[in-house]
Amino acid sequence: MSETTVCDSKHCVTCADEGVPMTVVRVDPERALALCERGGGARASVEIALVEPVAPGEVLLVHAGTAIARLGAPGASPAGRAG
Amino acid sequence: MRFVEEFRDAELGRALAAEILSLVEPGRHYKIMEVCGGHTHSIYKYGVDDLLPANVELVHGPGCPVCVIPMGRVDDGIALARRQEVIFTCFGDMMRVPGSNGSLLDAKAAGADVRMVYSPLDALRLAKQNRDREVIFFAIGFETTAPSTALTLKRARAEGVRNFSCMCSHVTIVPPVRALLESPDLRLDGFIGPGHVCTVVGARPFEFIPVDYGRPVVIAGFEPLDILQAIAMILRQLRDGRCCVENEYTRVVPYEGNPRALQVMAEVFELRAHFEWRGLGFISHSGLRLTEAYADLDAERRFEVPGVRVADPKACQCGEVLKGVIKPWECKVFGTACTPERPIGTCMVSSEGACAAYYNFGRFARERAVV
Repeated sequence: MSETTVCDSKHCVTCADEGVPMTVVRVDPERALALCERGGGARASVEIALVEPVAPGEVLLVHAGTAIARLGAPGASPAGRAG
Repeated sequence: MRFVEEFRDAELGRALAAEILSLVEPGRHYKIMEVCGGHTHSIYKYGVDDLLPANVELVHGPGCPVCVIPMGRVDDGIALARRQEVIFTCFGDMMRVPGSNGSLLDAKAAGADVRMVYSPLDALRLAKQNRDREVIFFAIGFETTAPSTALTLKRARAEGVRNFSCMCSHVTIVPPVRALLESPDLRLDGFIGPGHVCTVVGARPFEFIPVDYGRPVVIAGFEPLDILQAIAMILRQLRDGRCCVENEYTRVVPYEGNPRALQVMAEVFELRAHFEWRGLGFISHSGLRLTEAYADLDAERRFEVPGVRVADPKACQCGEVLKGVIKPWECKVFGTACTPERPIGTCMVSSEGACAAYYNFGRFARERAVV
């Protein structure tokens, strides 16, 4: 995944079918939003309706401001995966 | 960051490259299509291509949502953006896509209020901050992005935001892939499936590829090891005479997708009878529009749009690039008249477009290092 955090003239996170892993910092279940942090420390408010309930510390895959999946299902290690 | 660095390990990458080399039959040429523009970008960003044997060719598919937007659709967006009362919002790349008379960025330079947003939710926030204006969100993207738009429209409804609407240009991935498989001038040996689309729709919608067309599909993530692993899995299927849908991206993609995302999409969107794809023409049931229940949030019903079909520029060969018939550098205007700074075709606009990926990562010619 790219280190770029926003759309700009050279890259568009959203258009890339890109998913950014972000760690949940705080959850607002009333509004189905969570404050999440990405690798570089940048934080953003993320829509969590598709993956809730989520808890702080969980890693979500975020696309266009919406968490579309939870990371960490079986098979999360690059070693030993085989067809 | 967890789930990122470990999928960029150089040693594992070299081991996978050696495995790929051991799986190919000398003398046989393999053509594997990565459907998704995100994969195209990763392949050239990380030099995955350089780790492959010369007889394994990657063909770049139509999975860049910007690249498939036809010029007439851009013109419709510009017509809306020029309205005095409108704040027109869209994702970054969409601003630079040329219409028949300039891009949204040109319209912005000429005075239209066009703003780049990172998410539909940002567009809704703008609507709440500017109650005296009409905020329109130009929604593009495949099934990965469509749930985000759907949730935002539901949120707009729930919060009673009346000055927000959406120009829906969302598309679905299966119809163009089927169209490509029906194309007589394209022979493919397998597909790298679009990982993030599958996060939403699951793997099942791709089962028709092995069943009806006898081609393997491996759903893959976007890190270099994901892509190499997927290529190895496809080659292993071919070597063993097997043909099925496999999931390399199990850390994210459940076989059945995300049922909540599918439900919210079904509630907000319905299939259009036809939708025009740049370079591919009209494809049945390949585009989404808002359902009758959300008609009041549909910008195309709220405002008048020209809706005129505009032919692609003659010099542009985006269609052939999108179908994988030619490589970007085989296009007549690649890197000369058409560059990321002044694109003629959409494939040069988005960094996930095949032409921009080739251009930005210096792939100007056929030759590449062979392992």
